[in-house]
Amino acid sequence: MSSGLAILAVDDEPRALTDIKRLLETSASVERVATATSAKEALVFLSGGRYDALFLDVAMPEIEGMALARLLRRFADPPAVVFLTGHPDAAVEAFEVQALDFLVKPVSRERLESALSRVEQHVRGAEAAKAGPTGDGAADAATGPDVVAVDNPKGGGKRLVRLETISFAQANGDYARIVCDDGRFLLRTPLSQLEKDWGASGFARVHRAYLVNLKHAVELRAQLNGTAVLIMRDDTEIPVARRNVAALRRRLHA
Amino acid sequence: MDQRIPGDLAGAPPVSVHFVNNVLATAASYIEEDPDTARDVLAELGAFLTHRLRGPRTVSSADELEHVAVYVRLEQARFPGRIDAELPPPGELPATTAVPGAVQASVSEALGRWLGQHPGRVRMALRARNGGLDLQLDRPDEPGEPGERLRIGFQPDNTGTLA
Repeated sequence: MSSGLAILAVDDEPRALTDIKRLLETSASVERVATATSAKEALVFLSGGRYDALFLDVAMPEIEGMALARLLRRFADPPAVVFLTGHPDAAVEAFEVQALDFLVKPVSRERLESALSRVEQHVRGAEAAKAGPTGDGAADAATGPDVVAVDNPKGGGKRLVRLETISFAQANGDYARIVCDDGRFLLRTPLSQLEKDWGASGFARVHRAYLVNLKHAVELRAQLNGTAVLIMRDDTEIPVARRNVAALRRRLHA
Repeated sequence: MDQRIPGDLAGAPPVSVHFVNNVLATAASYIEEDPDTARDVLAELGAFLTHRLRGPRTVSSADELEHVAVYVRLEQARFPGRIDAELPPPGELPATTAVPGAVQASVSEALGRWLGQHPGRVRMALRARNGGLDLQLDRPDEPGEPGERLRIGFQPDNTGTLA
């Protein structure tokens, strides 16, 4: 990324657009901000110039933000999408269209900078991928998703959980119970699939029933019978199967 | 998809989280360029939420109409220059009661739909008639285009389309 970010902000509410434009323009990582008040107008901007990301309102007349995001996925080199919304529940759908982030209005400066940081990472990854398969882009492409949609016990909807906040996942039949900073949630995915999806994000299968985020582990305690116990930040003890102990020790010491 | 704060009384409509968040974004947009307006928007939002969240009770028709007036001013702040509104004087209202938000929710549903469907100005006129209210919606910049007329009762059962 040779210079600051070029952002197109799209919102049918003029005051909300004014607010996000001002926030973006005063961010050190942003070089240029254009604004559009509809999806159609956004498409005109996109046809006439290159933007690193769209900050896109979900609820708009005619073409909704989500529909525009789906349309953009057909572009050869689509800009990243960060959704803006007053609908917290739209987060799940945003996740499904591979949005980079999801901001609930009004947006705090800290949250906006976090989203812009993700855009910068995304742009760098895309540039490295274009440069060649041995660039940083290959590493970025190998990483898993950043967030996961889980069943929300309160209200019955879905909730987005960042992988970095997950301490471990425990097998529960065809489901997995995940334990994270915000509590415990049920995920309708078997542990074996999560192991594939999250392996590149620092998770390791330490036991038939446990997939652990090693960034949350603080101690590996050997047991007399050849097994071990992994101590997590919150003092939770996770059993480590005998056959996984050596590999886990190597990985923790790497 | 909209997430809502549950109403406090059986039959009381919930407050739209989408609406609240967008009003807060509107207030945020004014903080630097016009702090007084930002403060006014926040004060109106405070009044709006107080009416709805004060606890189980019924309110007078005049109080509910004042709540609608607050709501309309908040929408006018969100969409500057797009909403012309006419509300009935309190003296014309029937002497009845309603659960908080009974009229506002119907007005919000209709006005929100019109703002979404029509890009220009929208005119809404709420008039007291036969113990309830008639809501007329049209587009002042498109006089030939058909409008919409709704009957809004102080009780939810009395609300419906007129034309």
